[in-house]
Amino acid sequence: MNRIRYDRQGALNKLFDTLNLLFLLFLMLTMIIPFLNVIALAFSSGVSSMQPDIILFPKQFSAEGFAIVWNSLDIWKPFLNSVIVTGIGTVLHVLLSSFAGYVLMHPFLPGKKLMVTFILITMMIPQEAIMIPLYVVNKDLHLLNTLTVLVLSGLVSGFSILLMRNFFLGVPYEMAESAKMDGAGELRIFSTMYMRLATPGLATVTLFEFVGRWNMFTAPVLFINDSTKYTLQVALKSMIIDANSTSGTYLLTTNVKMAGIIIAIIPLIAIYPFVQKFFMKGIMLGASKE
Amino acid sequence: MKVFRKYAALYLMMLPIVIYFLVYSYYPLFKGLQISFQDYRLMGNRPYIGLDNYIKVVHDPIFWQSFVNTLVISVGILLFGFIAPLIIALSLNEVLNVWFKKAAQMILYIPHLLSWVVIGGMWIFLLSPDIGLVNQLLSRTIQLQPVHFLADSFWARWVMIGVATWKDMGYTCILFLAGIVSINPSLYEAARMDGASRWQQVRNVTLPQLANTMKVIFLLNTLGILRIFDQVFIFRNPSTASKVDVLMMYTYQKGIMDLQIGTAAAASFFVVLFTLILTLIVRKLTRFDEV
Repeated sequence: MNRIRYDRQGALNKLFDTLNLLFLLFLMLTMIIPFLNVIALAFSSGVSSMQPDIILFPKQFSAEGFAIVWNSLDIWKPFLNSVIVTGIGTVLHVLLSSFAGYVLMHPFLPGKKLMVTFILITMMIPQEAIMIPLYVVNKDLHLLNTLTVLVLSGLVSGFSILLMRNFFLGVPYEMAESAKMDGAGELRIFSTMYMRLATPGLATVTLFEFVGRWNMFTAPVLFINDSTKYTLQVALKSMIIDANSTSGTYLLTTNVKMAGIIIAIIPLIAIYPFVQKFFMKGIMLGASKE
Repeated sequence: MKVFRKYAALYLMMLPIVIYFLVYSYYPLFKGLQISFQDYRLMGNRPYIGLDNYIKVVHDPIFWQSFVNTLVISVGILLFGFIAPLIIALSLNEVLNVWFKKAAQMILYIPHLLSWVVIGGMWIFLLSPDIGLVNQLLSRTIQLQPVHFLADSFWARWVMIGVATWKDMGYTCILFLAGIVSINPSLYEAARMDGASRWQQVRNVTLPQLANTMKVIFLLNTLGILRIFDQVFIFRNPSTASKVDVLMMYTYQKGIMDLQIGTAAAASFFVVLFTLILTLIVRKLTRFDEV
């Protein structure tokens, strides 16, 4: 009696496990197949990429799509703009967040509470409320249509500051105190001790910011309309999406558009293994602190 | 003064951050409020006109259309974007093979990393009626006529909800998994001793223990939904605009395209008001403060 029940339970378990795995495999396929489709299209010849039978494998393999995007459409200019904005912006963001995180780590600093509140409030100011006045501010500062405005957008964030502060709090404060006794200045303690000991924190914030800046779209849409200052995302948008609705412009074959998408993805895929490692930690830390 | 000198280096380090936030967070907030009461022009004088901008917004049918769109699309994303990752997390948690579990998490997470332009470009193509993969599969398997997903006003909102859910489910799933991992294992042991089946364990241990995580995730998602902008900006087209243009899109078009900056500023304060109301409702419903 008992045995039969046990067997049935075992069989049910097996069935459940199989169905569960199939469900997850199906989900993974819905993630993978669209990307394979994009790759297959990008590596097909112009004519065949416009026909409806490419799914997973390219037809008439060719890389002409990439050549057209890079040479004729000059995608390298927006690509370069994106590299500049992402590079400078990320470095400054990490540096400033670390500055603030280091300052707010000091246990006895007078006025610390005030500074923390000051930063927490900025996290609660809704971005939708300041989209229009930000435009006005940047216009008054004569920053519209410059790459500077893109570097300045989101240059510091409360989230990164708190994240860095949490990592710095993991470094024993006695170390800083004894270094101070030996005559080291704050900047020195910061650069030679804290920045080195908080490498996982730095990596997390850097990767977050890198991905965010590479994908940044709202700021360039709001503040840039000079096409020589376009970033890759904006250039891609007009190349892939506007080209569908506006007729009369230079008609792009599908392989060209898909090649553009792949160019935008490559830097992210290149850092994905690192992202994977640090993001999980960062997400947990961020989620539990918010 | 002595104290100040002692910590001068620290205050100096903090200075750029304070200046940045003053110029790019605090000042715009007050400036926005001021602009919303002005007949704001980029050049010339800017007279105060009281509540005129707000009245104008309230009487604009397009504003209310955007309001309805925002509500429908956000509630959709909120529901599906919550339930789908929860189911996936529970399902992933039942998988014993560590390698498969890791691979699944990694793959499901990828779309969250990519920009809306990339995701949009991909899906607009996948959903296109003549050569898109989705329509090809539909016509080959169940012989369906091609569906114009992105030109059809019925499908437009579903596409928004579906793609947003697809993009972020891997990310939210990881948050749920983190919550599941932190459940005390002895609870499962006790349940097993009592002869609870796997389903009973999920129902009586995992789900109740996950309640707090669920509340936090739901609240955080609620705060984000009125802000969707990039996605709409990319997926909208003239034939579906009236069904998908959200409040942020309204603000953008009024302010940046039509340069009616005062009206746009007033509209954005309505968005803030709606966000506040929504947050209060969700807090009440989830009794967030008791967590």
